[in-house]
Parts: sequence; structure tokens; C-alpha cells
Amino acid sequence: MRTKFDEQLEKLNVALITTGALCEDAISTAAKALLENDMDLAAQVKPIELEIDQKEREIETLCMRLLLQQQPVAGDLRQISSALKMITDLERIGDQTSDIAELVPYLQKGDLSFSKVHIKEMAEATIKMVTDSIDSFVRQDLALARGVMEYDKVVDGLFNKVKAELIQLIGENRESGEFCIDLLMVAKYFERIGDHAVNVAEWVQYSLTGVKVNA
Amino acid sequence: MRKKIFKNMCLLAVVTIFLSSLLVTFAYYGTANSRMKAEVREEARFIQGAVELSGQEYLDTVKGTPNRITLIDTDGSVLFDNQADPAAMENHAGRQEVQRASTTGAGESTRMSDTLAQQIFYYAVKLDNGQILRVACDTDSVFAAVLAVLPWIVSAALVVTLFTVLFSNFLTKKIVAPINQLDLNAPADDKVYDELAPLLTKINRQNEVIAQQMKSLREKQEEFTSITENMSEGFLVLDRNTDILSYNSSALRLLGADAAPAESHGSALALNRSAGFRSAVDAALSGNRSEQLVRQGGRCCQVMANPVLRDGQVEGAVVVILDITEREERENLRREFTANVSHELKTPLTSISGFAEIIQNGIVKPQDIPRFAGNIYVESQRLISLVDDILNLSRLDEEDVQLERETFDLAALARDVADRLKDSAKKNGVVISVLGNKTPANGVKSIVDEMVYNLVDNSVKYNKKNGRVTVTAELLPEGPTLTVTDTGIGIPQGDVDRVFERFYRVDKSHSKEIGGTGLGLSIVKHGAAFHNAKVSLESVEGQGTTVRLTFPH
Repeated sequence: MRTKFDEQLEKLNVALITTGALCEDAISTAAKALLENDMDLAAQVKPIELEIDQKEREIETLCMRLLLQQQPVAGDLRQISSALKMITDLERIGDQTSDIAELVPYLQKGDLSFSKVHIKEMAEATIKMVTDSIDSFVRQDLALARGVMEYDKVVDGLFNKVKAELIQLIGENRESGEFCIDLLMVAKYFERIGDHAVNVAEWVQYSLTGVKVNA
Repeated sequence: MRKKIFKNMCLLAVVTIFLSSLLVTFAYYGTANSRMKAEVREEARFIQGAVELSGQEYLDTVKGTPNRITLIDTDGSVLFDNQADPAAMENHAGRQEVQRASTTGAGESTRMSDTLAQQIFYYAVKLDNGQILRVACDTDSVFAAVLAVLPWIVSAALVVTLFTVLFSNFLTKKIVAPINQLDLNAPADDKVYDELAPLLTKINRQNEVIAQQMKSLREKQEEFTSITENMSEGFLVLDRNTDILSYNSSALRLLGADAAPAESHGSALALNRSAGFRSAVDAALSGNRSEQLVRQGGRCCQVMANPVLRDGQVEGAVVVILDITEREERENLRREFTANVSHELKTPLTSISGFAEIIQNGIVKPQDIPRFAGNIYVESQRLISLVDDILNLSRLDEEDVQLERETFDLAALARDVADRLKDSAKKNGVVISVLGNKTPANGVKSIVDEMVYNLVDNSVKYNKKNGRVTVTAELLPEGPTLTVTDTGIGIPQGDVDRVFERFYRVDKSHSKEIGGTGLGLSIVKHGAAFHNAKVSLESVEGQGTTVRLTFPH
């Protein structure tokens, strides 16, 4: 019985790692598509997002089955319940990444050169957060998880910076209004993805320590 | 075992007590019974004597005795009984003891009374007048006797059992202790019980076999580990759930896992979760061979995953990871080189073909033909020098070149080169100066000449107006050294590493102004490699370049 439980738990773990990896793929593809104005790359994000959705359902089923059939307690219960929460955040990351990819065509004609620097930095910072949060789960690394929570400030700061730059840009050139609004949405999506990465890190912390902090 | 011994001992004690008690009871009963019978017979004879002497009247005196005394007439009717009314009693002629007494003079019988607990012993004697005198005595039956002794038996059994429990507990411990203290690692040394000897010998033999097998297994494992650990290729064995069964450190390194999280034998995806690795593992676990490229941290790895099949079922996967970063780089260099060679060869040929074409079409005025021919000549010269350089290079690439080595003077060679480049230097407004005394070096003079020529030529070409080129030959502790320093345009920091590549030029436009083939420094590098010499290059953009050749002693 125990062996079966362990096997299912390991299966859950692998499924979560895979989903995390898919999220990383999606966000790096979307960011690359955005920065290089590559429509083909942008089109690749949607299938990844669908795959993430499918994984989410798969993991939910697995968690439910584990909870009902094995009735885990203590650490095991925390691991499963945090997996159940984590997958929701991962799925949201997938959705928002897909939203960014959908905006890429509208950013074609605009001149990204001004704000591009900080959008690029923002994309990199967000990718780092997602990667670190998944790494913290994979390695069960509490310090790394806390690092992700700290790093959210950097992304928030970058968002404000991008916002200020865009306001200035609209002021200088009214024509670029639509472009700037779209770019602001991209920045907001990145910021939200960062928040979800923090959530993932918090669930990692919860599953390791049993303490849930409210950010 | 202890329990069993203990239980059996207790059982044995209880059974023994029970049986011995029974036997004692029976024996006691037997003697008591026979004494009782003897007494009854005695009494009967005594009464017989008394009755024969003083008649039936005597019997009235024995009315109160505990034993029942009956006088029976010859026809069987009861004449007297001291405990019952003789008139109410039935005919006694049929009784066994009476019959026997009437025929043999005396008879006895034992009969159960109405209750099982009592039995009655009858003894009858024949009087002189033919009447029968019978004496009867009630006694307890054997059953009752046993029943009477039973409380004693039980209490004795309880006491003995208690004692046995204590004693057998102690005894059992004592019997079992040597067995518990057996050293199973060296069972043959124990000589406590002979009965255990065959078992211990067998254990001993099996211990040896196990140790032997363990040793050979360990050796095999070590052999396997040392093979996989010394492989530069990464090696992973996975089970169906992507859990790692075996791995080597190269695999961890190539997959970019800094620590060794594989210690707990978790999933391989915890090491690397890139799309390439994932799809390779997934494909292998669904039964297909798969090859994928994984790029990570400036490294390019080829991941080859093979399914492990048992009875047609996928049991796991074997993953081999190759570091193909260098191969990839070499491939790129080769592609670049081919493209460069084609380009470099095509440019002068296109010019030559163009000039020839317009001459052929008669468009050129006769007086311009020498100029065009001159152009064709210059381009073909360029082509020739290019082909020469490529030939030189490929000659140096051939490792088994057999060329005459000799000892020559580096300073003299440098002076010779400077002399040859005097015209070119004058044209560029550059002054070449050669310093240094006789510096003997060993090598193939023609190759070294080529190298020095290329270095000085570069220094002259990539110089500024009124620039200087200084060639110094000296014998340093490291070996004979030739240094070429110029005050030229220098090389940008980012390009310093690449200038030794074939056809690499800082100025990408391949401008014809300066000329050159882009092969000069490449020839220097290959020539130095041929001589085991060291080349070092320092350059500050806009200020000049210093190239140092150090030959081995």
C-alpha cells in the first residue's frame, strides 16, 4: 500500500516538474517572440498553454485520488495540498504567457527601442523568478523559495519604471498611444506572472515547513 | 522455541502429577479394600461360631453393629436382619454369595448399590444347620475414593505446576541461552550443542558463499562505476517513472545539475527539465529511440535515449549524453571557412572575368587595354597569393610534413624580411627597424621566414602615416624570441581572440585597399604550432599591436 502511495506521490512530483518546465518554455518563448517581433514564435505559445491546461487537470485528478484513496496526513498531506494550489498558479502563468504572445502582433509596428530595454529586463527578471520558483520546488530548496519572494520587489520596481517610461512616451507622441497601452498590458502580465511565481514559492515553503505566510 | 520448551515442560509436570496421584489412589484403595474384606470375613466367622454355640438368639446382641448381618434360611427366606424387617425382605436364595455358600460353605460378592458412589461387599458362610449367615459392609467405590482424593491431587498439581513454571522458566532460559549467543558470523566456532553442528556448518558454508558473491558483486559494481565515472559522456539509467536508477557524475555535469540531487534517486526531470531532455526521455519511455539537442549555459549536448525492453514491455530507459559543444564549434568554423574560401576566390575571379568580358566585346578602346590588362594581372596576382597562402596552410595542416630543420639566426632572418618589405613600408610611410644580436633558433627556415614576413607585413599594412615597426630578436630564458611591435591601428579587444582564424578580418568589408588574404596570422599560428612555439598577441586599439613569438630551446 505504502509503495503504491510513494509511487503515486513520485508521479505527482514528476507531473509538477513537467508542468513547471512547460511554463518556463512558454514564458521564454513568449518573451523571445516579443523582443524579436517573431510571429512564428508567438504562435508556438498557445499549444504549450493547452498542454499546461491538460497537465493541470491531470494533476488535479491525481491529487484527488491520492487524498481520497490514501488519506495522507502531515507532510504528505501538505505536499499534496500544496501541489493542488501550486498547479493553479502554474496554470495562471501559462494563461498570462499566452496573453502576452497574443499581444505580439499588435506590437509589430511600434517602436520598441525606447522602452524595450526595460521590458527586456522585466521579461528576464520574470523568467528568473519562474525558473527559481520551480527550481525551489524541484530541489525542495527553502532558501531559493524565499529568494523568489524577495525578488518580486525587483519586478514590481521594473513595472513602475516601464509605466513611467510609457507615460512619458505618450506625452511626447500621441500617435503611439495604442502601442503604449498594449505594452503596458504586457508589462502588467509579466508583473502578474511574477506574483504567481511568488505564490508557487510560498506553497513550496508551506509544504516544507507547514507555515503559510500571507503576502 | 523458549515458549515451546516451557509449555512442554509444564505439561509434562502436570500429567506426571495427575498420573502418579491416580496410581497412588488406586494402590491405596486396593489395600484398604482387602483389609475391609478380611475384617468382614473375620466377623462372619466369629458370628458363625457364636451362632452355632448359642443359637439364633445371639444375633439379637449384634443389632447395633455397623455391618449388616443377615441370617438366611435354607429355602432362602430371611430369618434375621439387624438393619431391616426380615418379613419385608424378598427371598435371598438367588443371591450369588448365598448360592456359593450353600454349595462350598463360603461365598462372597461385590455389588454396586443404587448409587454409584457406594458398593456393598457381601460375605456368606454356611452354618452347621444349613442356614446361611451373611455379613455385608458398605464401602466407598474406587470412583468415590478417587473423587475424594481429587482435591488433594489438584492442589498438589497446582503447587507443583507453580514450582514447575518457575523452574522450567529458569531451565528454558538456560537451554536457550547458548543458542541465542550463537555468533552467526562464525557459527563453526560454537560447540555448545552437537545437534546444532550440521546446521551451523551449513550456515557457515552459506556465509562463505554469500561473502564470495557479495565480493564479486561489489567488484563488478566498482568496475561498472569506474567505467561510467571515467566516461566523459553522461550516463543515466531510468525506470518507468523517470526515477534515476544509476548515473555518473558526467551526466550531472552535462545536465547542469550542480549538486547531486540524484542521491535520493528522484526523478531525472529534477536534474534537467528542458524541452529536449523531456521529449527524449518521454520518447524512450514510450518505446522509441530518440535523439535530441539540449542547449544550456553555453553548452550543447546531444541526448540519446534508448528504451529498455523486457518481454516487449518498456521497463525503463538508458540515456547517454554527449558534449558536442566543441564539435558544433568546429563544424561552424569549417562552414565559415568554406564560405570564406569560396568568397575570397570568387571576388578576384569575378573581376578578371568582367574585365575579360568587356575586352572580348570590344567595348574597350585600344589605348585602355593595357590598363585593363594591368587590372587583370593584379587580380590574378591576388588570386595566386591567396592560393599560395591556402597551400601553405594546408601544408602546415598536414602533420607528417618532412622538412629539413636547421639552426639559423633570427635577427638575420628579420633583417632579410625587413629588407624585402622596404618598398611597401616606404609606400605606407612606415619605418621598419630591426634590433637585436645573433639569436640562434632551430626550425624550418622557410616556414619561419613566412611567419615573420606575415607579421611584419601586417604591421606595415595596418599602420598609420609616419608609424614605426620594431622587430626585436633576443635570447630570453624561455627561448629565442622575436617580437614585432608597431604603432598601428591596433585590434579591438573583442576581436583579439579571433584574428588567428582563417579569413577573419577586423574590417569585414574585405576591402581591397589594404589587400591581404586574411590568412596571414593563421599561417603564423600554424607555423608556430608546427615548431611548438608560443604566440602571444597584445593590442590596444588605436595605439598598436605587439606580437611575440617564443621558440623552444
